[in-house]
Amino acid sequence: MTARRATDSDALSLLLAKHGLELARHLRRLVRDDDVATDLLQDTFLRAHGALSRLRPGSNERAWLYRIATNAALNHVRARARETAALERHAREPDVAAPSWLNDDQPGAGTGETDQRHTAVWARVAELPDRQRVALTLRVSDACDYDEIAHRMGGTAAGARANVHQALKRLRKEFR
Amino acid sequence: MTPRDTAENRADRTLVHRAFAHLTGRSGAPVLYALMDDTPVGFLGLAAGPTGLRRLEFIGGEDPFVERLLALFPDQPVERSIALDKVRRELERYFAGRRFTFDTRVDLSGLTPFQRKVLGETVKVPAGQYTTYSQLAAKAGRPRAARAAGNALHDNPVAIIVPCHRVLRGDGSLGGYAGGLEAKAWLLRHEGVLL
Repeated sequence: MTARRATDSDALSLLLAKHGLELARHLRRLVRDDDVATDLLQDTFLRAHGALSRLRPGSNERAWLYRIATNAALNHVRARARETAALERHAREPDVAAPSWLNDDQPGAGTGETDQRHTAVWARVAELPDRQRVALTLRVSDACDYDEIAHRMGGTAAGARANVHQALKRLRKEFR
Repeated sequence: MTPRDTAENRADRTLVHRAFAHLTGRSGAPVLYALMDDTPVGFLGLAAGPTGLRRLEFIGGEDPFVERLLALFPDQPVERSIALDKVRRELERYFAGRRFTFDTRVDLSGLTPFQRKVLGETVKVPAGQYTTYSQLAAKAGRPRAARAAGNALHDNPVAIIVPCHRVLRGDGSLGGYAGGLEAKAWLLRHEGVLL
């Protein structure tokens, strides 16, 4: 494979250089599995590259990539719905400590939490309806305010707030 | 080089490097870049490899800078990074007038021995002073190669850190500068040279 496949591969490289790291983090946090996130990241940039000619000049490239990545992650999760159901049993285990963000809706309260902590709560998060799950993950892990969540997912800030609120309400019922 | 290189950052970067390797064939050591968009001399682009700073350029924007990096380093992934904060802090101190020297390691590989010699002599010119193209050529061992010395400075990959703005024509006029003569004059005055 040569590194100089003309301008076509350069357009993809440019997208990856500017947005790759941010989207890698976004996907790793949404799917919580690095191998899956690896595939989804490559799918995202291939799709974006294929559709690049349809991106209007002056439109927000970053928000557009976030939407493609989020959709790729949601599609993946839907396809794996049966497997995530198995995690439900784990979520019911009684000796699980609730993470602080469950009680205190501050952006970024769950930043830096590893997969080992609060596994059961995150497993339950994985089973929430798509928009609630993504909104909550962006809020808790990515420290997004509601405007930013709306920006990344599409929709309004009020809608984002409602989704986070609904997600927290469900989780609180089960983990407090 | 990467003080905030946490496990999570490393995991993110691994994903990006895999994507680069699979989708574009770029699998060498990554080139990290950062931007400084509000300096007194305009928009600056910085890029570093594992052994030091490779580029410090006056740029028109992020896209043209990244496109240049992709062309300069055709086998390597290029990634926007927070890891260049040490050199950015040094540059902020420089622009604030608090310190005019740099500890940042530079990587001048890819240049000819003469170019490296000229740039090496340029680094020895302290802030507040200047030299001329012909004096520099003499110090680099080729006293009649003032023009070649000028060309070597023109190709300086790390402006400001290798202070090619401290080199003037023999008649005291500014000569040329990649960032434009206005930037060259600003830098010299900032360092205390009376123009």
